Amino acid sequence: MINRSLTRISFYIVFAIIMIYTFFPLYVLILIAFTPPIHTPVASLHPTLYPSGFTLSSLLGAFAIPEIFAAFTKSLEVAFIVAGLALLIGVPAAYGLSRLHPKIANSISTLLFFANMLPSITIAIPISVTFLKLGLSETPIALALAQELIVLPLSVFFLLGAFQSVPKDLINQARVDGAGLFRTIFTIIVPLAKAGVAATFLLSWMLSWDEFTFAVFLSPAKPTLPILIYIYITRGSILDASAFSILVTVPVVVLVVILSRFLRGELLQGGING
Amino acid sequence: MLVLPAIVYVTALSFYPSAEAVYQSFQTPNRHYVLTNYKELVSFGAYNAIYNTVIVTICALALQFFIAMVIATILTKEFRGKQFFQVSVLIPFSVATIVAVYAFSNVFVTPGGYADSLLEIFGLKPVGWTAYHNYWLNVLALIISDSWKNTPIVALILTAGMSTIPPEIYAAAKVDGAGPFSRFFRITIPNLSSYIAIAMIIRGISEFNIFAMALVLFPHVLLTTLAYGLYSETFLGLSYAASVVLLGFIVVFAIIVTVYRSRSQSR
Repeated sequence: MINRSLTRISFYIVFAIIMIYTFFPLYVLILIAFTPPIHTPVASLHPTLYPSGFTLSSLLGAFAIPEIFAAFTKSLEVAFIVAGLALLIGVPAAYGLSRLHPKIANSISTLLFFANMLPSITIAIPISVTFLKLGLSETPIALALAQELIVLPLSVFFLLGAFQSVPKDLINQARVDGAGLFRTIFTIIVPLAKAGVAATFLLSWMLSWDEFTFAVFLSPAKPTLPILIYIYITRGSILDASAFSILVTVPVVVLVVILSRFLRGELLQGGING
Repeated sequence: MLVLPAIVYVTALSFYPSAEAVYQSFQTPNRHYVLTNYKELVSFGAYNAIYNTVIVTICALALQFFIAMVIATILTKEFRGKQFFQVSVLIPFSVATIVAVYAFSNVFVTPGGYADSLLEIFGLKPVGWTAYHNYWLNVLALIISDSWKNTPIVALILTAGMSTIPPEIYAAAKVDGAGPFSRFFRITIPNLSSYIAIAMIIRGISEFNIFAMALVLFPHVLLTTLAYGLYSETFLGLSYAASVVLLGFIVVFAIIVTVYRSRSQSR
């Protein structure tokens, strides 16, 4: 009996440690944004761990900076292009892979995986030089094209996993009944694998929203939000950076909490079986 | 046929530029096909960068797999608040890397970070988390921050893996007298191997690529930060060379993991 309650207690201790680890940085973020600067690392050597006072002036000050809206729009634009492109190229590719002979499909997916493994930095430097020559530098489309590299292989895997759950007979039936290739894909497979497609869109969007390496090389003058934050951190404007951070974080956290039931490890099944 | 656009895409935008980086790394403005860039790289601290990159990668992976394993084990049990726990551990995954590192840079800033405030509560002395001379504390601060952001994806994969192991095996092993440790090493780990391989591929590779975190939080050079610094401060050839060294490491790692993956599949 004692033994059992001991296990229980240690279970809750571990539970508590993980929860504190998870929420502490977010708590810090909010603390810096809303407590008067005098109690935060900005001006104090002994920042308080509890909210001592409340102010909105830090946030309002940061949102008065005009750059922030340009950065916000740019981040949005790029993220939507990336997520849209991921489905546009990824859906046909995943469907094709699911129909191919497993051996061939496997070697193709390994190839895609290798593309995903190549370090962003190694790719970013030559690409940024090329885009500079082409005059594409700083445009959202250039950045989206580069980010798509990280996103596309993963999207194909997620979609492949989702498509494999669609019964083969149904697809053959549709083809026999005279549905064309694209009609089969868009009226049969995509609706049946809705959850997987939605999750892929969301993940692609998030990966782009968060992406840093390509953005810093390809778009240093008209930054996306993450780069803007980095610029403000290096300048030492901690307060503004905290406001921007909250702007970056809130939409995505809300999305993830709402859609968390779609984000499951089973999504990676395609990569494991394929 | 349908796969073709995807293949063309990754070839044009990833294999081709990498090949170009390798090619360019052997060129200087006035000479061709030489090792000058690599020789010069040494004077910019290349050996340190390689050493730091390897250390950080290994430590960060170890910490992430440890925490993820704990989370996955907790999630196999039924308890009150499980739903809440499941969603909470996912949250860091959705927080942008730069935001995570921003929050942690305020936690670990020297002097006067929140970590020191926390230590003071327990009556301990503040330590210089990011002071240059405390190498291992620097590494610790970096891997704690990095793991915060990246453990969820590992936990997600391992949880999926754990759910495929039938509970009867554990019950049988328990009857046969296997303790918790031997159950973990003889049943959990072997059954998870293909999931571990996937998590290793996804995380291991990005761990070598750790960039934004290190830029803000780590006062030493990694291969990535070295390449970035050289890109913005000196001429291109040098940064190509640094990034190619990184590429070499990643290719070796990728081959090892791919072999491990195919072996665990054939078993």
